[in-house]
Amino acid sequence: MAAKKKRAPNVQNDSWVVIAADSAIHTQKHDRDADFVKLRNPSTDAACLYMLGCGDAQLYEVKAFEEDFHSWFVGQTVQRDGRLVFVTPMDPLFLILPYFIKSGKEAKFQPVDQVVTDEEFPACSRLLSCTRSLASLQHIAEEKEAGSTKFHRYSEEKTMNWLKKKVERTVVALKRRNISVGEGVKSTTYVRVKSEPDSHEEDYLRYAHGLISEYISADLSRALLKHLELPELLSPKETEPPSKKRKLSDNPVEAGEDYTKFNSADFVRKPPKKMTAAQKTLAKVDKTGMKPMSSFFSPKVKAEKN
Amino acid sequence: MSCNTSVTHLNVSSVDKAQQTPVHLMPCEIEHNGPAKVSQYFAATMKDHKHETTVSFRGRGLKGQELSCPQGYTGLVLKEVNKPGSDQEDRTVKVSSVFNKLTYWNLETPPNSDDTVVMAMDWPELAEAIHGPVEE
Repeated sequence: MAAKKKRAPNVQNDSWVVIAADSAIHTQKHDRDADFVKLRNPSTDAACLYMLGCGDAQLYEVKAFEEDFHSWFVGQTVQRDGRLVFVTPMDPLFLILPYFIKSGKEAKFQPVDQVVTDEEFPACSRLLSCTRSLASLQHIAEEKEAGSTKFHRYSEEKTMNWLKKKVERTVVALKRRNISVGEGVKSTTYVRVKSEPDSHEEDYLRYAHGLISEYISADLSRALLKHLELPELLSPKETEPPSKKRKLSDNPVEAGEDYTKFNSADFVRKPPKKMTAAQKTLAKVDKTGMKPMSSFFSPKVKAEKN
Repeated sequence: MSCNTSVTHLNVSSVDKAQQTPVHLMPCEIEHNGPAKVSQYFAATMKDHKHETTVSFRGRGLKGQELSCPQGYTGLVLKEVNKPGSDQEDRTVKVSSVFNKLTYWNLETPPNSDDTVVMAMDWPELAEAIHGPVEE
């Protein structure tokens, strides 16, 4: 790609084009607004923007799709920032899990509100108000009841089983998508892939593992790979799943990418974090195989460390 | 250092007053935020042919396609109201416009299913698989 022209920084941005789940805006109670809050990203450990809606009953992920050199016309105005921001329902357990893993080292049963606290991110306690949070703790922790109080202790075994189910659900969705695209433009892909059923299945698994790895630590991602009985790939190749690249996520490698300049934890000045380096990844897309979706969706930096 | 405790409120009820607005995703960076005579000088040159939509922008022919928002999703344009001076303060955004479909424009390549924005529309379905509840 040719060197980018120097552009004046986009400092005046105060408008965003968003595609949001109807549940976030069409609430029964209109007096209950939604809040964009910063929480600890489970994969990067850094500040990241999320949304709590329906009076904290539902957590949403805020994810921006971005290509270089795009802008919007909105009605009779120009909006320089060409990103498209998606607000989609998110499983709060992904954000709760790191706190359990941390406290799990002490190996005691604790009340959940003592586990999920964070001086740096006080909003994390609001995660416990999400409808699904408390009921789903059993997927990552053992539970004991004493009187009316429940105590929990992190369980890696349970967590692995839970994550495996997540991967399986994702494989199903990927296959469903693929069948529908297989009828159209990508029919050659579909046919080619069909002729190698074994590697095909593994591709799906790796691929789904890569997507799930966006929401867990690098250690957990490796453990999950083992749990899925997928061998670690030895050398980096084109077919490598995005999760493998993410192993370096604690290193400053990703921070060297030039899109980090957008990844401020400041929502308003330099809008929502989470973005894909869509332009870059699109250039890498292997249109001959199964990879486009994973290359597209996965490698991204969500927010910078403060 | 930015503040992790500040919150940006989304004024949800503002969606009721928001108007449907046409939105176009342009294949170039326009170094401007603000008013422009879009319908007069841009939308007016849109042409629908048999299989494609074209428009002329700054003397270049663009090829476009309309995309609907995924099922269960609504397009919103959020705008900040009363920008505060520091990033310690809470902020508020409101819904200034809504849309159910958008038009994206390519410079040379005809619109196709590999276009980033088309693939992005698949995200909600994948996100549902990743984040939906798992069975016991």
